[in-house]
Formats: sequence, structure tokens, C-alpha cells
Amino acid sequence: MPAKVVKLEAPADNFAFRVYLVEVVKGMVRTLGHLLRNVVPIFVAEGKKLAGNGDGSVKGMPIVSFPEARRDYSERFRGRHILKTRDDGSLKCVACYMCQTACPADCIRIEAGEHPVLAYEKYPTVFEIDMLRCVMCGYCVDACPKDAIWMTKDYELAFFDRKSAIYGIPMLTEKPSDTAADGPGYGYRPYYGESPARKAGEFEPSGLPLLPVLEARGAAINRMPPPPPPKPA
Amino acid sequence: MSALASAPSSSLTYAPVLDKRFGPKARIEARPAKDIATITLTDRSAYIEVARFLRDDPACAFDLLLDLVSIDLLNAPAPLRPRDGSRFQLHVILYSTRRNDHLRLIVNLPEQNPRVPTLVNLWPAVNWFEREAWDLMGIEFEGHPNLKRLLTHNGFVGHALRKDYAAGQRWLCTEEDLLQTDLAAQTETPEDIFETMTVNLGPSHPATHGTLRIVLRLDGETIVAAEGECGYLHRCFEKMSESHTYSQVIPYTDRLNYCSPMINGFGYARAVEDMLGVEIPPRAKAIRVILSEFNRIMDHMVCIGTNLVDLGALTNFWYAYQAREAIYGLLEACCGARLTSSYARVGGLSADVPPNFDEWSRSLFPIIKTQLDDIDGLVSKNRIAHKRMRGTGIVSRENAIAWGFTGPCGRASGLAYDVRKDKPYEGYDELDFDVPVMTDGDNFARYYVRMEEMRQSLRIIDQQLRKLPKGPVTTDDYRVILPPKEMVYNEMEGLIYHFKVVFEGTKVAPGYFYSSVEGGNGELGYTIVADGSGNPYRLKVRPPCFPLFAAYEKIIKGGMVSDAVATLGMLNIIAGELDR
Ligand code: SF4
Ligand code: SF4
Repeated sequence: MPAKVVKLEAPADNFAFRVYLVEVVKGMVRTLGHLLRNVVPIFVAEGKKLAGNGDGSVKGMPIVSFPEARRDYSERFRGRHILKTRDDGSLKCVACYMCQTACPADCIRIEAGEHPVLAYEKYPTVFEIDMLRCVMCGYCVDACPKDAIWMTKDYELAFFDRKSAIYGIPMLTEKPSDTAADGPGYGYRPYYGESPARKAGEFEPSGLPLLPVLEARGAAINRMPPPPPPKPA
Repeated sequence: MSALASAPSSSLTYAPVLDKRFGPKARIEARPAKDIATITLTDRSAYIEVARFLRDDPACAFDLLLDLVSIDLLNAPAPLRPRDGSRFQLHVILYSTRRNDHLRLIVNLPEQNPRVPTLVNLWPAVNWFEREAWDLMGIEFEGHPNLKRLLTHNGFVGHALRKDYAAGQRWLCTEEDLLQTDLAAQTETPEDIFETMTVNLGPSHPATHGTLRIVLRLDGETIVAAEGECGYLHRCFEKMSESHTYSQVIPYTDRLNYCSPMINGFGYARAVEDMLGVEIPPRAKAIRVILSEFNRIMDHMVCIGTNLVDLGALTNFWYAYQAREAIYGLLEACCGARLTSSYARVGGLSADVPPNFDEWSRSLFPIIKTQLDDIDGLVSKNRIAHKRMRGTGIVSRENAIAWGFTGPCGRASGLAYDVRKDKPYEGYDELDFDVPVMTDGDNFARYYVRMEEMRQSLRIIDQQLRKLPKGPVTTDDYRVILPPKEMVYNEMEGLIYHFKVVFEGTKVAPGYFYSSVEGGNGELGYTIVADGSGNPYRLKVRPPCFPLFAAYEKIIKGGMVSDAVATLGMLNIIAGELDR
């Protein structure tokens, strides 16, 4: 079913077209139709809350009266980052530099330290995101192997100076206000809801051959420690 | 289509023809290529002769010049470097409208004094491409009528895309504006200076819809001379991509044509996938097609809506943007951002579409259709619109080909070339749609073709939604794409793949590749030169509106200023992709 080329002709220059008045009336009918469709629901909604479509707009009216009404964004919205915490409140981040490496805008700066809790091994002593450089691409979220960095739906990021645009750990750590009823809520993250396969053990390993370099190490691979972080540039 | 047109493109097709004609005079290496036919000139002196032959010989007939890629092979690995040790390389990407075939003509240039004769007399479209190559790579084109900087400013020193140019250098623009004086100096008689005046349109004029500048010399309301200037939005996309991995380039591509951001990303991802030989799952392909078409609708809506504002028809702007707004909601639900989508990944998509994708997409149909009908009803038979658009900004078919037009503007001039039809990708060949073509070549034709294309896009989306396959949206080759998070969290193997993709990027074998998709404005081509590492060695975009804007000064000459504004809007110049 290949595509066909069709030849179009511009509308003919006929009598109705020349008279002009006919087209004027037709056009008016169209624009007035729009007007009525926009205005009538407002009168209908008068007294009720002005929230026809659930996205802050009135039915028929494509305008959102920001900031009183706000558009709802999806679960994938890429806004301000948060650093996820463990149950004990410590950061999940292990300062592996993956997000820093993946970041195309080069706006993450991490410094690693040894965590007093032995099992956690490493943690970031410095974790900064320059929000003015960030392009909100979500690559850091994709790159994190520890599910430690997520994004929220917060898009109102404004600063008085460049310095305050650099968010450090206190600004980035997840707060209850992020998920409160009037908070932005979670945005872009590695998974949405609990995927059944996510539970350990149920996941089917792919039948893909190992990378050639790793093959030589054979079975030892599964006991290999995680790869070391590269030297920070 | 003739039998020739459907034959697979192969360099070996042209080798005998060229051999017969040139014999030992110019040794021409024809190598089988994965993408398009390639001819390498080993004798530089035959450049013009071979180029002319390629254009005029009926067995070749490459009448449309798509792109000119300049490459600096300094320190490039052996497979890339030409045998004679030349440092620079030019790729002339050609297309034959008669035979539906692409061809790449390669010429190598030495390190000292890289210069070749200009191709302007063969393909006028090459004019600005050569200026760009001069500006960014320092290749000189003998006999070029106007060889000066294009994307960088006059105070710039050096050639930015050379490998020995440090990306961090800054040059302050202190030179005075040469353009205006240039144009004013073009007068022939002293009276001319008296009667004409030079006027600036842009760089921030509402009618330019971006940062472009056109200097006009006016005789009353009539344009006697014009010169376009671009580069105000140049953000070193190509230079920057050389220091980023293949997947890190994707966020940059969103900013090319920001009216249809996803098409850029999909086109780029496809180019890299083709280069790697990675096949993406059918579901990813189908989603790419659907979202590309939605983006095309948005692109055309913006073009028509804003241009009608310039013509005084403000209402249509609201209608067009209403449809666009509705589409943005869907795009945001898929990828997490309205404009800076970054949805494509090399090897698939960043995530599957939301569960209600089908109903959501279908719920947009009535909105788009209503707005389309309303714009159609208000404009298509509107006498004022006709007076403003019909017969203005005319580009004949011959000129469209000579100036390198593709896409809706080319089709409005009777050039029935659409990458989706002629070089189908991502399963476009299994879809039933029409390619609208008009012969008038004026602004109205551009408007009308776009209107019809939006309807055809809806048809494509409808068909594709009907047969949207189930399954994954990424390839399972984890050397290319990040493995699923389940694997990364729970398995050492997954973590290692993950680590390698993030830290090293996807390694692409040395070579060059040209791949194109139908962007909102025409053929959006990517030339990728890989050197085996995780970063592109050189990435060149063929922005479809680049040749359009280059031809703009010729189209508007002799017309009125108001027509020039109408033409500028209908050519749909997007500064983001023009300047890169
Ligand atoms: S969202 Fe993108 S640009 Fe921003 S910090 Fe993450 S990776 Fe960097
Ligand atoms: S990738 Fe995750 S764990 Fe690693 S440094 Fe970034 S946030 Fe921390």
C-alpha cells in the first residue's frame, strides 16, 4: 500500500467567492460558533467550581487560568529532582557518578565519602545540581542504578542569582511536602507503580551473550564487585 | 515509479557509467555502502567534471543537492582516513528526483590550503552550504560569489568545527555590522542611493518568528535587493555532539526544529540504529510513526497559525494553537515534557506510551479535525487570504529543485518528493496515505499542501493505531540501550551492561552514514561519522529549512515587503534548526 501522489487544486474562483459576502457570513458563523461554545459553559458552570476538564480548564475553553488553576501533568513529568532516602533517612545514593556521567548538560557535581554504616559503603558528601544548566532530560534518573534520584512535577524554578540555582543535598533530599496533597508529586522515575517482575527472583534473565570482555571471566562474573567509579574529571 | 526508482541504491550501479566516461582521468572508487551510494574521487581535479556529469547524465541525473558535509579527519583512526593522508573531506549528498536515489560524492582535501571549485553553478542550493563549510571548517571554495561567514560572527577567529579548535573559546563580536554596508554598496548609480533605502527586518522582528535577519534594500515598497543572515541561534550543536555520547545527543536534537521536536530525535536515533544495525521492535516503530505524525500536525499548525497572524487573520492562530495544545498533552504524557521531549533512545524509546494512549490519541482527532475545518473554512476561500497568498512568493519546480527545496515547500512547487513515500522508513510503506502536490508554487500552495498533509497525518495515525503491536519498546541489545531496571537492581549482569552503556556509551564502528526522515519542513538528514568510540566523530544535520532560507532572498526580490513577510512565514523558517 504505497503512498500515492495526489494533485491538489486551489479552490476555484467562482461567483460566491467573488461576491465575498457569502464567505463573510460563513466565516462569522464559524467564529460565533466558537464564541458560544466557549462562553456558554462558563455561564453553566457559574456558581460551581470552574473546573470543567479536570486540568484546570473550563469545558470548551482551552485557557487555563494560571496560577489559580493549574494543568495536571502526567506521572512522567520531568521537573525538579529529589534524592530518595532509605527508611532510616539516609540518602539512597552511593555516589557512583553514573548520573554525573550520563548528564548531557554536565550540571551534576558529586563528591564521595565513606559512609559510617559499613553496609552503605559510600555516600555523597556533595551532591549539587545546577538547575540553570539542567535541561530536564531525565538521563540522571535513567542512569541511577540505585533508584536514588527521581524527578517531581515541580516546574516553578526561579532564582534571584546564579548561586541559588545550585541545589545541594538539603534542597534535593526528598521532603514530605514533595508528595503532600498540594505538593508537586512524583514525576519522572525509573518505574511507575510496582511492576510485578520487579520483585527479586521473578525476573527472567535475558538470553543475551555476555560482553566479550566479561565472558573470559566465566562464572566469576556474578561475584564480581560493582565496577569502581572512575576518577572524577 | 520506474523500475529504476525502486532498485536498491548501490554505488556499483554508477561505477561502470563513471568508469566509461572518465576512465583513468579520474579514478573513482565506488564502494558498496550500507546507506547510500558512495563515490570517492581520488583525483581532486576532476571534481567539477564529475559533479557536472552526475547532474547531467541521464543515468545519474542527480538534480537535487541535499547537503554538503565537511569533515576534519585530523587524528581520525585508519579506516576513516583517506589513503593519501588528506585531512579534510567533503561529502556532497545528492538526490535524483527522477530516479529516486541518493548519492554521496566524496572529495578529499589536503591539510594545507584546502580548496575546491564551487558547485554554485551546478546546484545553486550549495551556496550557503559552502559558506557554512568555509565558516566552520575553513574550506575555501574558488569562485564562490559570496564566501563569508554564515553561522558565526565577523569577529570570530578560526574555524570552529576543526578538530584542533578548542570548544571553549570565546570571541567577542566587536566588528561593525558589515551586512548593511555591503548591501548599500551594491548600488550602481548615485541616484540609486538617493532613491532606495536599506531596512532591517529582524533579528527580533515578530514576523521572523525567531532570530533571523533580513536586510532589504527598498525602492518605495518594492524590494530591489535582499540578504538573509542567520546564526543568531547558533549553539554549536554539531561541535558539542562530538564531545557527547550518542545517546547524550538526543536532548540536543529536540532543540533543532522545536515545532516538531520528536521527529528530530526519532530521525537521529534511527540514523544511529541503522549504523549499528540494530532493529527496534515493531511497537517502537509504530509509536514513532504516530508521534511523528502528531508532531507534523503541530509543526504545520504553528506554521499556518503564525503566518496567518502576519497576514492579519489572528483568529486562526487561536484555533491552530488549540489543536497543538491538545497534542502537547499527549506528548507530555508519553515522554514527560511538552517540548523538550527526549523521547527517542538509540534502540527504542525512553518508556512505553501510557496505557490509555489509544483512546487519548483518538480523542484528539475531533479536536484537530474541528480546528482544521475551521481554518479551512475561514481561509481557503477567503478573498483577502487569496489576494495575499496567491501569486506571491512563487517558486517554480525547476527553481525548487535547484535551490534544494524538499518537504511541503517543495511539494507546493510540484516536486513530489516525500521521504516517507520515496524512501520509506519505520514502516511507512505499509500505510496508505496521499502525498499532496500542487504546481502553483506560491504561498497559497504551501498553505494548502500543509492543510492536506495534516489530514493525511490523521489518516496515518488512525491506521497505525489500529494495528499498534504489543510488546517491548526497546531492543534487547543491552550494549545499545540501558537494560530494564529490574535487571539493573537485581542482577550483576544487568548492572554491568548498565555501567558500560552509561560510562562508555554505545560504540559505533568506524564509518560514515547518511540517514534521513521527513521532518516538518522537508528532508531532515543526519550524516554521522563514527570513529569507533562512544561519541560521534562528526555529526552534520541537514536542516530542511536551511536551503529554504538561503533561497528566500531570491524569492522576495522584486516583490513587496508585505509579500516578503507572507513568504517568510509560509517557508516556515525555524531558527533552531537553521542555526543549530
Ligand atoms: S535532568 Fe538531565 S541535565 Fe538535568 S541533571 Fe539530570 S541528566 Fe543532567
Ligand atoms: S547514579 Fe544514583 S547512586 Fe549514583 S551518584 Fe547518581 S544518584 Fe547517586
